[in-house]
Amino acid sequence: MQKRLKAIGKFLSSMRFGILLLVVLALTCVVGSLISQGHPMDWYLQRYPERTAALIYGLRLDDVFHSTWFLVLAVILCGNLLLCNLLHLPGLLQRFRDAADPLKTPKTARITAGVADFPEAVFEKIRMPKPKTIDAEGGKRLFSVKNRIGLWGAWVCHLGILLLIIGFTMGQVTTEEYTVYGVPGQTKPVGDTGYTVTIDDFGVQRSENDTVQQYTTLLTMRDGKTGAQQSASASVNHPAGLYGYRIYQNSVGPAAKVTVTRDGKTAQEEYVCVGDYLYVLNTPLMLYFVQYEDAYYDAGSGKTLPGYAYSTYYMGEQERAGVQVEGDTALTYGSVEISFSDPREYTLLQVKADHFSWLVLLGGVILLIGLALAFFLPMTRVWAVQEADGRWTVSAESRNAGPLFAEQFREAAGIPEAPEETNGKAGEPDA
Amino acid sequence: MGKRVNPMLNVENVLFTITVLLYVAATVFYFLFIVLKQDRLARIASLIQLLGLVVHTAALVCRGIAAGRLPLTNQYEFSTSFAWGLSLVSLIFLRRFKFPVLGAFASPVIILVIGYAALQSREIRELMPSLRSSWLGIHVSTAIIAYGSFGVSFVLGLIFLLREKMQGSAFWNSHVPSREKLDLIGYRSVCLGLLFLSFTMITGAIWAEQAWGSYWSWDPKETWSLVTWLVYAIYLHLRIRRGWKGRAAAIFAVIGFICVIFTYIGVNTFLPGLHSYA
Repeated sequence: MQKRLKAIGKFLSSMRFGILLLVVLALTCVVGSLISQGHPMDWYLQRYPERTAALIYGLRLDDVFHSTWFLVLAVILCGNLLLCNLLHLPGLLQRFRDAADPLKTPKTARITAGVADFPEAVFEKIRMPKPKTIDAEGGKRLFSVKNRIGLWGAWVCHLGILLLIIGFTMGQVTTEEYTVYGVPGQTKPVGDTGYTVTIDDFGVQRSENDTVQQYTTLLTMRDGKTGAQQSASASVNHPAGLYGYRIYQNSVGPAAKVTVTRDGKTAQEEYVCVGDYLYVLNTPLMLYFVQYEDAYYDAGSGKTLPGYAYSTYYMGEQERAGVQVEGDTALTYGSVEISFSDPREYTLLQVKADHFSWLVLLGGVILLIGLALAFFLPMTRVWAVQEADGRWTVSAESRNAGPLFAEQFREAAGIPEAPEETNGKAGEPDA
Repeated sequence: MGKRVNPMLNVENVLFTITVLLYVAATVFYFLFIVLKQDRLARIASLIQLLGLVVHTAALVCRGIAAGRLPLTNQYEFSTSFAWGLSLVSLIFLRRFKFPVLGAFASPVIILVIGYAALQSREIRELMPSLRSSWLGIHVSTAIIAYGSFGVSFVLGLIFLLREKMQGSAFWNSHVPSREKLDLIGYRSVCLGLLFLSFTMITGAIWAEQAWGSYWSWDPKETWSLVTWLVYAIYLHLRIRRGWKGRAAAIFAVIGFICVIFTYIGVNTFLPGLHSYA
């Protein structure tokens, strides 16, 4: 039993399993990008044969990246990376130490060249640090090593990816996200956080040819518990940061002032955004603002005027739908009159707290460092052993450089013929 | 009255046309070099390619001046920059490893990419607010180097596969590095590409967080960048774990570049998303 568990553990931490996971992940991403995501079952039934649609829905291929099995895949990949890094750590530490030890050079060197009287020149030509001289048992030795840190490349990469996946997954699970929208002067709650956001101002900066350059919202966030408040501005690419939340300028849309009068007196007046409902106070009436067009053709007057498309609901049932153009008579329900005016743009803000985004960023930076170490700092060792006749034999090994390093070494050593390659492996980063 | 065209844009149009002609000329000379086996022709070809790169750079600078920003925001601008990156990386590898056959295989790919650019609209439009960010330059320029490096690894993969068939050719044996060396150069270009692709994805994530409020949205472009990243990660792991070098690695480099092309052109054509402008 213990043997079997050990074998399973070995497989789960193996690179073979890691490669398998990468393949599955790549295929999953392909499927997730080719099947349009996040639609209801009917949508798939209209586009795919019934069985295919059922399969898509059954396997959650309609929302691959938020499915449980995708999360499980991410967790397994984390486990594989973690085990791989933990199990390789002692060996890697040993190799890192040994790499600096002049007496622990490989018995069979990867590249060896017999050389004449002055081996120091070889070290210099291939830009090695000044060699140390050691009086060893077999004779005098010269030894130099560079880029030992490169041995850590793959390990650091794995660590970075691990942090990225953990940060991303934790962020997905714990992120708080709310939307707040309205026109200047309105105060809206930020979900159930106890905070409110007041939109102090909203502006659209346009270029000479009327192209939108920037949307900017000036806002004040207030802590409902303490009464403390802070102001900031949020624009596209420049989110505001208040009370641990990031506030993004997300979207804009049309809004208009809706005035409700009862018996000729104003009973209710507020700005309503397109897509919003307005409950008419003290009535079973509800107004839905469908759309605003600033150039609506009114067949009655034959003019093009601003128009407000609406629906009204009475006791929950749709009662009326139409367009009220500017200057039109108000909608009338007994003594209640409803009219639209003052069209303007509303701002939509996204208020978000992702407590793990720093971990994702850290993981990304570590990954980049790991890749740079693994690919561009190949650990290189050069050593020279003095033979009994006083001449020197210079040997070298360079991970990740193979025949290119061999060529450089041969040139430096002044050896015309190809050096002996005693080890088939070109020497690439450790996994 | 017609719309006034920015004079700098006229200069850019002329320089772009000269660039295409120079790349075509370089390809012709590279072709003659392969056919006639004269080293002099290879030197002329690489000089013409270098001249093409200089003119290409000038064209990009003119466009940048005309647009008042980095020319990296639409299909035309990215395609021409992609061709520029491919030309630059191939010339660097060509000089570094001294084998002009690389140029002979890279130049047709450059022509295909710049030809694709020529088919796109060259109109300069004002940027939407989300693209007005200093991250644009970093994100897209690193993508150009990444794509250029993967393009070179693709070309090296093709040369490797052809070299196998040309074992008996004295010209190939003397003008193309050994298979081991070719394999290693290809591996290095993949390494360079993967480092820059990672950089592209990370800078893109930082920018997306600022612009869209989410650093990763599983948008098709993001997803396919990840697929490309995974394909090259699999390639590297298979090299180490299963010794997939030589022929297998060359085939993998070709597959990887197909993913790159799909990420760039296929996604924009078939899978619209947040990156639809790119």
